[in-house]
Amino acid sequence: MAWVTWRQHRAQLVAAAGLLLLLGLAALGTDIPIRSAYRGNALSNCLPPNARSGCDIIVRHFESQFGSWADAVRVVAVLPALAGLFVGAPLLARELEHGTHRVAWTQGVTRRRWLLSKTALLAAATVATTATASAIVMWWRSPFDTLEGRINPSGFDIEGLVVPAYALFALALGVLAGLVFRRTVAAMTATLVAFAATRLLVLTFLRPHFLSPLHWSILPTDPGPPAGDWILSDTLVDAGGRQITTGREDLAVQHAQLAGIDPHTYIDTLGWKRLVTYQPAGRFWTFQLIEAGLFVALAVAVVLVTLWLIRRTPT
Amino acid sequence: MSLPPLAAHGLGKRFGREWGLRDCTLTIPPGAIVGLAGPNAAGKSTLLSLATGLLAPSEGSISVLGCDPLRDSAVLGRIGYVAQGAPLYRSFSVAETIEFARRTNPRWDDAIVPEFLTRIASQTKVGALSAGERARLALALVLGKRPELVLLDEPFVGLDPLAGREFLQLLMDRVAETPTAVVIASHVIADIERVCDHIVLLTRGGVRLQGDVEELLGSHRILTGPRRPLGSIRGVREIVRERHSDRQLTLLVVTDRPIVDRSWTVEPVGLEELLLAYMAPERPLTPPTPERLPLQWHG
Repeated sequence: MAWVTWRQHRAQLVAAAGLLLLLGLAALGTDIPIRSAYRGNALSNCLPPNARSGCDIIVRHFESQFGSWADAVRVVAVLPALAGLFVGAPLLARELEHGTHRVAWTQGVTRRRWLLSKTALLAAATVATTATASAIVMWWRSPFDTLEGRINPSGFDIEGLVVPAYALFALALGVLAGLVFRRTVAAMTATLVAFAATRLLVLTFLRPHFLSPLHWSILPTDPGPPAGDWILSDTLVDAGGRQITTGREDLAVQHAQLAGIDPHTYIDTLGWKRLVTYQPAGRFWTFQLIEAGLFVALAVAVVLVTLWLIRRTPT
Repeated sequence: MSLPPLAAHGLGKRFGREWGLRDCTLTIPPGAIVGLAGPNAAGKSTLLSLATGLLAPSEGSISVLGCDPLRDSAVLGRIGYVAQGAPLYRSFSVAETIEFARRTNPRWDDAIVPEFLTRIASQTKVGALSAGERARLALALVLGKRPELVLLDEPFVGLDPLAGREFLQLLMDRVAETPTAVVIASHVIADIERVCDHIVLLTRGGVRLQGDVEELLGSHRILTGPRRPLGSIRGVREIVRERHSDRQLTLLVVTDRPIVDRSWTVEPVGLEELLLAYMAPERPLTPPTPERLPLQWHG
């Protein structure tokens, strides 16, 4: 089956290698100015424990200079979806569309072994490709990671173990969608929708609660929490711990202005506090393990469903 | 080989609310060359898809070489199947297609390949082959498996008569001396009557007729005589079809003894005419039973 898989999917594998090469070259080329600016401004001396005066200006300058580059690199978040769209979805849909499953599934290799071998080989290739991409991104982003942290979705989603895990899940989804929809374009669409929806649901509803978030209560006038943590919420609470609505806050500010008091001082006298809920930067690898494990488990479940369905598919 | 290569019992397949095949009970003897005849939409392709496990039966059972094709799908390695239109990977070259079969069949035998692929360059893409060349390549894939059962679904569609004849010749040269059973589904009887020694006639009502070709031709006769009211005729077990003009009556009958009545002209019947008579919907062999759906005909 290795030869058959290679013969049928070599175009995708070549494309994946090409994308990796492009990513590597782009990373190498853009890394040089970033590192020289990082070293030239001695940014490593500006990290929280030994921050010196003027650091915030230097950091802000660095971010304004290269922040858009870091944003651009977030595009690699679509790489895992590509595995689902262009490798997973056509795997069965193309066979069913052209009727060649009648050839493939009536040979000496049983249908399940055929599917399992192809999926396993392509999964291995997908993991190799996306893990390499993830490693390149981690290396490239290391200056940003030290300044901004990487537990924020902007870093978390494109670094570490989750990238190959997302790709495995997308691949499995694509194969299943191909079996269900039996048309390549329909399967690709369904894969994209299901993959994006799952990612979004996990990001919004599950990841913030992988471990119970920490709370930090400070005076409203205190400087914010240091960069590097993942801030889940940042709200004002009154002395009783109840959240203060923007309406109530506006009223307080108006009241202070009418009375000719500085609003900040006024709010302090009310006993209001700023409550920051966050996941600390130190939980990065724990969260990576949990989320990657979750997506690998989902991928396995989807493959099992596909294996069960393929036996009873009317063709 | 004692197990029948293909046996079905009460086999049915429903697609939504329509039955693609119903009440199919048949047994194919070892080594037989079977013509699977029947009008379009009679369920010939459905039967072959059920035999290869591409479909699961809705009712009844089917076994190939003694195995359930769905549960013991390893049996497919011993069956050669060419689906309608001989689907192959169009982007593969001829050599790659052969390599594909070699890699996916543990029993693969390269020896038969060359004679099938004379006059075809091995680097040609499958998509660029003529219909005849493509059919030969599909047949090479099937016979290289050294199959014990060959199932061909409408292999002559799209082939010119010469290519069709060549196709049959290649097939028969390979299987004539072996115990391999062959089932050729075709709605054109003329295409299969040259080679098959066994007939299964499938209509929407189920299996209408099956048996050895010699025996069927031996037991059926065409009687022609002056028009008269029909009573029982000595030697006739059953009247299959009755046709009359103003003065003449033509019957297709099943005989159990020689016909002695001199007022009838007795002639043998050809296979095509025999099958067409049984296909005729206006005179079913057995009247439809109440629980069975009436025969439906679609445009």
